[in-house]
Amino acid sequence: MAHSNSCVHLTYSSVRLFWEITKRSLQRHLTYRTATITGLITNLFFGLLRASVLLALLSGSSSANGWNAQDIVTYVALTQALMVVVSVFGWSDLMNTVYRGEIAAELLRPTSLFLFWLAQDIGRSLTALVTRGISIMLVCYFVFAIKVPSSFGQWLVVLLSLGLAMVISFAFRFIVNLAAFWSPDARGMARFAFIALGFASGFLMPLRFFPDWLQHVLALTPFPHMMNSIIEIYIGSSDARVIEILGLQVFWAVTLTGLAQLILARATRRLVILGG
Amino acid sequence: MIQVENLCKHFEIRHRHKNSWAVLRNFLKRDSSTLKAVDDISFSIQKGEMVGYLGPNGAGKSTTLKMLTGLLVPTSGRLEVNGFVPWQSRQKYVAQIGAVFGQRSSLWWDLPTIESLELLQHIYKIPTARFSSNLEMFKKLLDLDEFLQSPARSLSLGQRMRADLCAALMHDPAILFLDEPTIGLDVVAKQRIREFIQQINQDRGTTIILTTHDMADVQKLCTRAMMIDHGKLLFDGALSDLQNRFGGQRRLIVDFEEPPTQLKLANATIISQEALRITFAFARETRVAELISALTRDHAIRDLRVEEPEIEATIRAIYEGNLLSA
Repeated sequence: MAHSNSCVHLTYSSVRLFWEITKRSLQRHLTYRTATITGLITNLFFGLLRASVLLALLSGSSSANGWNAQDIVTYVALTQALMVVVSVFGWSDLMNTVYRGEIAAELLRPTSLFLFWLAQDIGRSLTALVTRGISIMLVCYFVFAIKVPSSFGQWLVVLLSLGLAMVISFAFRFIVNLAAFWSPDARGMARFAFIALGFASGFLMPLRFFPDWLQHVLALTPFPHMMNSIIEIYIGSSDARVIEILGLQVFWAVTLTGLAQLILARATRRLVILGG
Repeated sequence: MIQVENLCKHFEIRHRHKNSWAVLRNFLKRDSSTLKAVDDISFSIQKGEMVGYLGPNGAGKSTTLKMLTGLLVPTSGRLEVNGFVPWQSRQKYVAQIGAVFGQRSSLWWDLPTIESLELLQHIYKIPTARFSSNLEMFKKLLDLDEFLQSPARSLSLGQRMRADLCAALMHDPAILFLDEPTIGLDVVAKQRIREFIQQINQDRGTTIILTTHDMADVQKLCTRAMMIDHGKLLFDGALSDLQNRFGGQRRLIVDFEEPPTQLKLANATIISQEALRITFAFARETRVAELISALTRDHAIRDLRVEEPEIEATIRAIYEGNLLSA
């Protein structure tokens, strides 16, 4: 009895710690108001640009690869709304703390480095979701009449898929950042990885517009599950595959998290804290 | 509490060619040599001790400290702190230690300082009552109230150090590691930090290991000093022993009434002479009274004084002259 009680307590305090870190990260990111507003304007501007390019692809026909004009505009709105949420342009905060030596302070705390950063990243993502994400979707809804999920159930599945995408994207970026433990300049490698992320996640172009063979190759990687999967579920063009998509997302979230732990354990063993 | 035996940490240093074809040669062939940052060090520290760890820049102080805190894996040797091998069980181990690296902060840069402190309650799972009583106590001792609501980025160096000390102690660590805790602070701020460290050591029995370049830190705080250079432990003992063994000579400074002639003293040598002032150096054992009576017998003297060598000068002499290794 006593044992199970302490287990429950342990889980509660871990969840509490996670939330306390997330809360502080939210608080931090919400203070950058100017950055949020300018980011929002840039988002909308590029959204317009991308929508007109993609619509030109339709060139008279009413649909391309199963999507009509409304689907395409919805796709653009969603990617613009979510690109910061799932960091399609990459992220190198962890790498920078390694190079600045600040990682020392973090390793001196009795927390899992992965969970510590995940909690912070969730905070960052949630900030982006409530500030940029929701406002972009609202603007697009009123101006371009984009699609909206038709049922509460679909909203729920979209949010679930988004949550999983956040974890998958984070685990991938975390692993890329761990390269900093091995190389004094892992930035070049990271840049390459993040370009691949933008391309393969379906951010630059919907994956269904790619040739079949490429779609098959990408389906074997975690990238589509960081962005494309959410879009497919939101637009409802892959309704029959929803369970399969969510299952794959869970698979990749678990696999990448595990991989991150393994690499992290090796990284800290060979750690060289720079300076002083 | 701390057991260190034959501890070594070696780093591979890569050399780069600088002539033509350098890029290609660097790529094809990597010449490297080994830097022995910590070279076969052994010591042990008891619970409640306060130890000063000294040495010039690049001597191996920080490397030792990083191994003790579990941040670096030793190349060889045995290391046990509080029953743990630091790097093997990092998460469990670091829950029992506190550390302040003077040139870095563990506070969240852009959040009010109090937010960073309150997060520690959850990180270390500190019972609420204990957390509040510690916070109250440190608030008073370190005068934190004036800046607890300010973000860490806007704190002065002294304030930041006080906040970091508080952050390192909230979970009642058994051992506190301080790397240059007074670096860059003014005299008043230094004094305040020292008094606080002393109080923690006395009231809570916290074992404290501190590295510093400021000899006053060591003089005022530590009964025991360890000195390291080129990765070797050169001295380990009471600070007064260091002074006795290596403090070298004392000085006698004499102002004469008129230029002295045929000046000679047994047991003392003249080390400088300017107008009427002459400075003698003499061994520690020599009795000053004998020197003075010998002087006054033959010469008219206006004033004189005896100088003890400063610990700082002793240390400098050790660093520069490798007194200990010789």
